Amino acid sequence: MRKLSRDKDFILRIQEISQQNIADCYQCGRCTAGCPFAEFMDEPPNRIIRYIQLGYKEDVLKAHSPWFCAACLVCESRCPRGVDIPRIMEAVRTIHLRAKEQLIDIDKIDKELLKDAHPLVLMSALYKYSY
Amino acid sequence: MQVSYYPGCDLYTKAKVLNDSIKAAFNAVGIELKELANWYCCGTTFTLARDNKMSLIAPLRILSRAQKEDGYLLVPCSICYNTLKRANYIFKNDPDTLKIINEHLGENYNGGEKIIHPFEFIKEHKDEFKKGVKKSLENLKLGSYYGCYLLRPKNEVEFDDPESPTIMEEFVQLMGAQPVTFPLKVECCGSYLIVNSPEAALEASYKILKNARERGAEAIVTSCPVCHYNLDNFQSKIAGMHSDHQFIPVFYFSQIMAMAFGLPVEVWGLEYNKVNPTNLLKEHKIL
Repeated sequence: MRKLSRDKDFILRIQEISQQNIADCYQCGRCTAGCPFAEFMDEPPNRIIRYIQLGYKEDVLKAHSPWFCAACLVCESRCPRGVDIPRIMEAVRTIHLRAKEQLIDIDKIDKELLKDAHPLVLMSALYKYSY
Repeated sequence: MQVSYYPGCDLYTKAKVLNDSIKAAFNAVGIELKELANWYCCGTTFTLARDNKMSLIAPLRILSRAQKEDGYLLVPCSICYNTLKRANYIFKNDPDTLKIINEHLGENYNGGEKIIHPFEFIKEHKDEFKKGVKKSLENLKLGSYYGCYLLRPKNEVEFDDPESPTIMEEFVQLMGAQPVTFPLKVECCGSYLIVNSPEAALEASYKILKNARERGAEAIVTSCPVCHYNLDNFQSKIAGMHSDHQFIPVFYFSQIMAMAFGLPVEVWGLEYNKVNPTNLLKEHKIL
């Protein structure tokens, strides 16, 4: 049995950063169905939203999925409730980054890629994945 | 006619071909693209964290400079277009935020700048651009690939229908080639995931290229430098992952314009294409 520990502050923090009402999601699953990267995610987008609704902070913060969100906004354009899921994913990443936990270290970027990398791709990745 | 335009970093670096060919093609129909003075980076990939106003500083300075010129700005790069347009949406609809950034920067931007993408501009001036077409591309089948940044979010960028846009197909038709519509034309190419999760990005690109080819496209046309980079640069890697991958050239829309307008072949910038389009163009007697 899961131990229920509902972290209300976490819900409010996510809502503050994303400016989205987390309760608007009614779990239809369209975001996950259309997500081009859902297959790479450990927890699909709708489940991340559900965890946030329930205040399961630890489950959200240990998931890898928010780092696979490319902010392509396809889920946002299809959500029948008008929830901007990429903003919520960004809020999760933001919490990590502001705690100085980051996904990439510039020194560890693939050297082969760096030789000929597009500046926009590098800028965006550093922006999204490092503090 | 003179139009202010914003090149952004990539039109001077990896997407130089887009800069050179769009300027030449617009010139060919009597429109001079005048670079915005003292511009700098738009900030790239608009931040989605709404409690942070830092990302609005660069766009406001850029827009305020454009406002001093002629009140509207042509933005060829899809990422810059998206970033500037979304920031401007906030400036237009959130006067408190506009005031904070204006005061911080000592600017007096009024939120009225109109940001326009070349596809919108071409649609508005359809007849002039049609007259520019000198060379037949009639048998060239081009898959119109939009990617994300031009289309979403709908209410902020107001470009076209985010699920089934047609503006690019109309452009391809106007240039005299055959537009090919394919379901994944609005799917993400993988964007910046290529840096840290290349496998996910390459898989996304593979699916898009395959889908376009299956629908009959002989080449892809796009306006986004990131989509171009992901779709064109990594096809050898994709072929290594998927033995059924067939190479398909990826063009910027401005290269298609340079071809259709009969501009010298050096302007087409074919040396920028990693997947060599020479055979395809020879086959259709374009080259």
